[in-house]
Amino acid sequence: MSADLIVDTQIRVWVFLPIVVITFLVGIIRHYVSILLSSQKKVETQQFQDSQLILRSRLLRENAKYIPKAAFLSRRQVFNREEDGYLTQQRPAVTSSMMTDPSMMTDMVKGNLTNVLPMIVVGGWINWMFSGFITTKVPFPLTLRFKSMLQRGIELNHLDASWVSSASWYFLNVFGLRSIYALVLGENNAADQSRQMQDQMSGAAMAMPPDPKVAFKAEWEALEIVDHQWALADIESKLIGEEKVKTE
Amino acid sequence: MSNKSKQVPTVAYSESAIRNNLSITEYCRTSMAALSGCTAGLLGLTSLHGALFYIMAVTTLWLMILYKAGFATWNKYFISRKSLLTSGIFGQLFTYILCWTFSYGMVHVY
Amino acid sequence: MGAQKSDVEQLRYWRENNDRKSREVLDIWLNGLWLKVNSLGNEKFLVLEQVCLAALDCHIPNVAETCIESLSQSFPSSLRVRKLHAMYFEAKEDFGTATDILNSIIKADETNSAARKRKVAVLKAQGRTVDAIKELTDYLKIFMADVEAWQELAELYISEQDFSKAAFCVEELILHNPHNHLLHQRYADIKYTIGGLENLETARSYYSQALKINPKNMRALYGLYLTSSALSTSAKCSSQRKKEAAKLVEWSLKEIKKRYSEANLMVTALAALEI
Repeated sequence: MSADLIVDTQIRVWVFLPIVVITFLVGIIRHYVSILLSSQKKVETQQFQDSQLILRSRLLRENAKYIPKAAFLSRRQVFNREEDGYLTQQRPAVTSSMMTDPSMMTDMVKGNLTNVLPMIVVGGWINWMFSGFITTKVPFPLTLRFKSMLQRGIELNHLDASWVSSASWYFLNVFGLRSIYALVLGENNAADQSRQMQDQMSGAAMAMPPDPKVAFKAEWEALEIVDHQWALADIESKLIGEEKVKTE
Repeated sequence: MSNKSKQVPTVAYSESAIRNNLSITEYCRTSMAALSGCTAGLLGLTSLHGALFYIMAVTTLWLMILYKAGFATWNKYFISRKSLLTSGIFGQLFTYILCWTFSYGMVHVY
Repeated sequence: MGAQKSDVEQLRYWRENNDRKSREVLDIWLNGLWLKVNSLGNEKFLVLEQVCLAALDCHIPNVAETCIESLSQSFPSSLRVRKLHAMYFEAKEDFGTATDILNSIIKADETNSAARKRKVAVLKAQGRTVDAIKELTDYLKIFMADVEAWQELAELYISEQDFSKAAFCVEELILHNPHNHLLHQRYADIKYTIGGLENLETARSYYSQALKINPKNMRALYGLYLTSSALSTSAKCSSQRKKEAAKLVEWSLKEIKKRYSEANLMVTALAALEI
């Protein structure tokens, strides 16, 4: 199906391709810059201990049924004892406000710097430089509502909404190249913004959230409600039962 | 609570093996999205045809992975077939659209 | 050139699979790798570390010393190289210097787990098991989720015959790796050694679990036989339980005979088991 508009081939060479190349290279640069900038996070001993504690408590909860009841109960006691259990320790109230904690602040600034800023800067530059003409046609029909969003700078009323401007082509590139970064740079690359945002929300096991009390309280409750069902309660009969079936 | 717990056969999954398999399928899926996007653009497919082509490509990849894993022994490698089919769809969709628009633009618009 | 490439690959393979293979590594090194080491690029340092550890294992100090020297030239203030240095002194049995170096590493980086574990190894090499145990428990108060450390502590307690604490450590290990049949069998061994009716029953259950996970575990099968026969002849057991135990004795004996006959071994030795 040939286009219903004749588009200048110069656009292809000087706009279409360069935007792709620019997006790709900016992503790669971002990845390496973030590796250079990421300071050696010196984990405090206390923080490390807390994260290990949470890990151990989680394992206790998940695999409780493999250890005898008495062992489980004594462990739960150690963790949840009223005054000096691991999880009920009084921690000095950590101010969870982000402004006062200098290391958190710098991490946040660095995070923003490497991720959001380039996107905005480059997007704005592209918008300024390549404005006023259409760049490409997306292969599917879009409704008129999208026209105002995707055709910034072009004031033609009867232009089909599928023709988009360079800014929207840029953003399409940003989203589309995310998976390709995974191919090229390997897993855990810093150019993949969406995964970073997901990571921030789920919280890794190594880096504790600045407020351990919340995490402790959650673990304490979870541990309290565990009902210990010893998995080996009548295992002998199961073992012989199985064997009997097999040998006959 | 009765004493006899339900005998749920506890299957031990090897974490690292699962993660490895999933990352390999992710790799395959991304390549597929890119290649099928370029193909769709070259062929000049539009809107509905393009969407159908994407769905067809995803299903074909799913069948090929199952064939490689063996139709009878797929559960030695993956936990669930369904998640294999549906899990990466939206992430790769953008890659597909990108490549589709790109090749469509290169071939048909210019 | 072809031989060199496959050597380096072999070293990499052993490194990634945590295979110690010290003798073979040293052979590869002495057969000519030491001349070509500078051409290995980034892998050079990993290879140097691997060869250094192998040399310490086989007690060839001059090779170890050359490796450490080249590493410290490239990484002058590295804690990892200092740890190797401490291990070198440990191999020479100069425990004072080794401990000093390790203490300085710990002071420099509180969260360095490798240095603390080396301290325990030094104490163990000196035969000061009690001190080693104390050091290890302090370590575990901070690094609670370190499976290796719990395993080492279990071994230390067993060597000191403090079985109840050893049982605690193995429970911790089971929590981390619930599907490892060797751990269940270990736990059962310890419980059986402590003795007592309840512990015998626990031991029996854990032997059965080990068998369920891995039916080929002979030790667990023998353990099952021993615990069940101990239970069936014990005075404090109720008669119903004795009957169950007797059933298990029969079954385990049958299984043992089956395994041995499958392996085509002399069965006459088993006659001693028939009570």
